[in-house]
Amino acid sequence: MSLLLKNISLPLASFTLEADVEIRNRVTAIFGPSGAGKTSLLDLVAGLRRAPSAFIQLNDRVLTDTARGFCVPTHHRGIGYVPQDLALFPHLSVRQNLLYGWKSGGAIDPLFAFDRVTDILEIQPLIARGVRELSGGEKQRVALARALLASPRLLLLDEPLASLDAPLKAKIIPYLARIRDEFQIPMLCVTHDRVEALTLADEIVVLVNGKVLQTGAVLDVFNRPANADVAKLVGMETLHPGTVTSVTEGLVAVRVANQTLTAVAPAQATREVFVCIRGEDVTLQRDSESPSSVRNRLAARVVALRPEGALVRVELDAGFRLVAAITRPACEDLNLQPGLAVTACIKAPAIHLIARE
Amino acid sequence: MKPLNSLCIAVALGLCVAVAKSSAAEITVFAAASLTDSLKATTAAYEQTTGDKIIFSFGASSTLARQIEAGAPADIFFSADEARMEDLDKKGLIDAGTRKSRLGNTLVVVVPADSALPIKSARDLASDAVKKLALADPKAVPAGIYAKAWLTKQNVWSVVEPKVVPTENVRAALAAVESGNVEAGVVYKTDVGISQKVKIAYEVPAADAPQISYPLALVKESKQPEAAKKFLRYLAAEEAGQVFQRFGFILLE
Amino acid sequence: MSSEEWQIVWFTAWVSALSTVVILPFGLALAWALARRDWPGKSIVETFVSLPLVMPPVATGLILLQMFGRHGPIGGFLHDKLDLDIIFTWRAVLLALGVMSFPLLVRSARVAFEEVNPRLEQIARTLGASQWRVFFTITVPLAARGIIAGMILAFARALGEFGATIMIAGNIPGKTSTLSLAIFSEVQLGQDDRAFRLLGVSVALAFAAVWGSEWLLRRNRESK
Repeated sequence: MSLLLKNISLPLASFTLEADVEIRNRVTAIFGPSGAGKTSLLDLVAGLRRAPSAFIQLNDRVLTDTARGFCVPTHHRGIGYVPQDLALFPHLSVRQNLLYGWKSGGAIDPLFAFDRVTDILEIQPLIARGVRELSGGEKQRVALARALLASPRLLLLDEPLASLDAPLKAKIIPYLARIRDEFQIPMLCVTHDRVEALTLADEIVVLVNGKVLQTGAVLDVFNRPANADVAKLVGMETLHPGTVTSVTEGLVAVRVANQTLTAVAPAQATREVFVCIRGEDVTLQRDSESPSSVRNRLAARVVALRPEGALVRVELDAGFRLVAAITRPACEDLNLQPGLAVTACIKAPAIHLIARE
Repeated sequence: MKPLNSLCIAVALGLCVAVAKSSAAEITVFAAASLTDSLKATTAAYEQTTGDKIIFSFGASSTLARQIEAGAPADIFFSADEARMEDLDKKGLIDAGTRKSRLGNTLVVVVPADSALPIKSARDLASDAVKKLALADPKAVPAGIYAKAWLTKQNVWSVVEPKVVPTENVRAALAAVESGNVEAGVVYKTDVGISQKVKIAYEVPAADAPQISYPLALVKESKQPEAAKKFLRYLAAEEAGQVFQRFGFILLE
Repeated sequence: MSSEEWQIVWFTAWVSALSTVVILPFGLALAWALARRDWPGKSIVETFVSLPLVMPPVATGLILLQMFGRHGPIGGFLHDKLDLDIIFTWRAVLLALGVMSFPLLVRSARVAFEEVNPRLEQIARTLGASQWRVFFTITVPLAARGIIAGMILAFARALGEFGATIMIAGNIPGKTSTLSLAIFSEVQLGQDDRAFRLLGVSVALAFAAVWGSEWLLRRNRESK
């Protein structure tokens, strides 16, 4: 499948949304902070908004071409949309909602048969009910089923998990995965949540302030953010300006604050860099003597502890602010407390350098 | 002259004028709509010579009679038929001694100025060419009552009645004909003179028409009986009579 | 009450109902356009629609008289080409009632449409529904209570219309005589007892209409 978004230019409140991407994968996440223009982009694809300039093509069908003044109206696009507030029709029953987009009097792809869809999303017991009687998770599944029952060629999802609590998220994700596997239609998901993006998507488009900063496979983008903005977004918690002082045999020495770190030389060697370190890549030790393969061992002091579920994010002062993510049992074993002196170990390959102007 | 002195003189003069004005009376005359132009013409000279001010309220005699009954501040009532005056007389609202039948009038059938409709008798009003006929409300307004009496006597009322568009007063009937929204109307001959947009199709002969009589009288509740009586005498006199004749009214003896 | 009086009541009720039905498609179309669309000159349209509400009814009646009279732009055309007269017929009553109650319907319907979440309409379109289908299956049902309240208001206004009606329809017994016109003329004629009987019916009708409208609005509030 191929979704081509070219020459997109849509002025919004405080910036202009611009995009020029080709989306090829089955599940793509449009990832960025709130207000980045993600929903507007979905609206453009669905034909709910018009841009002064846009070229949108789905597979071999041109949907929008402002240069030629051509725009397929929304109801002919065959693009399913599940908005953030689900938009279930309150005056219709669940059954009427589900069948609203049903194309009667024509061959229905057995992929989207009513019984199959309701079975996969497990909403058969809900069909006779009114929309107001449904719980949050049930509404979500009904909204998904409704979009699917219209036999869409592409499915747009706006923050599908945002309004759900953690247990519910965990419940819905398998349904989304099922949709991905059982219906063979591409999905475009908007999200601001790293975990959602990691879990659901194959490919990711990073959108910040209306500009596409990076596209690529999810893990690639997360591990090798193209610039500081993307790095911050994908959760490189430690981010500092640094200066490369020497380059030797593919390794660089980079100075951060008053510390020198050893890192793997990036593809483009520059003098001024941003140093990015994921919390998950920082190990803590009480002592610093035993030899190990770790090149970077920094004396640090614990500043604060932030528990996050099974992990604890430990904020350290190593001459610069450094965040380490360790398990809670580990934290207890080491008896970490604010003020304690520890050694922070960072493997050279885990230090990610981004060119800085 | 010192400013304070001139101020005192100005104030004194003003007071004199005010006192002089207050001795001049303001008389309210309730009169039939068909008297609008003629009455206004008679009073111009009167106001100049006597210094009294005449205020008019023109309308359907029936409406005005109702208002007087309800206590409206009229000094003089000048009706288009005897029945309305009789009604007020029976209720003791007018000074019977001052009552006098002053004017007569003629009924005419009018059509829009550009109309080609041939109307030579009451019978023609019954024809299909006349779809709508404007009359002052024949239930209450003198002009309409007179018209109905005429058409009844000519034995065409039952055919004409469904076509009637009743209006609030005779001038409204005239306006309806002027607008072209009705084919014809029955109004007084005296009403036609003021309008360019209608023409007389047929003048009802005196023999066929009912007796038309315009009485006037002093309203008992008048606050200015002396001034009002003075105006009544003027209206009954020759000078005013000439004005009425000029407008086409018949003087009754 | 005499049969003549009942005829007046019946005539008033059916011509008011008919005028409400006749203005409904135009009122809804305009209300929808005002609620969902923007265009240069929109505020001028809004002002014109509200005019009959604030102008003296006789003034509106005068404008209608000029336009629909035999020498007027619309009336002249109808008279010459279709041999159709409006002034001084029941059609003039329909016209007067319709014009005077139109703004009330448009205002209520517009608010009702504005309260419908546009997202619902958009999603309906993604499900393949054309604009018309969205309008009739989503927008109108969700705005129904407000629209009905507007219709009742329009009906009540039509019931009580006087100024414009007397201007263009006159008070022709049996043909254009409505409750308000009849009450006025009975008072003029000194027939107070007839006037009071008609007054009683008038109050009863108005009461029923407003009570019905309030009840609908209460139900609307409670179900939210």
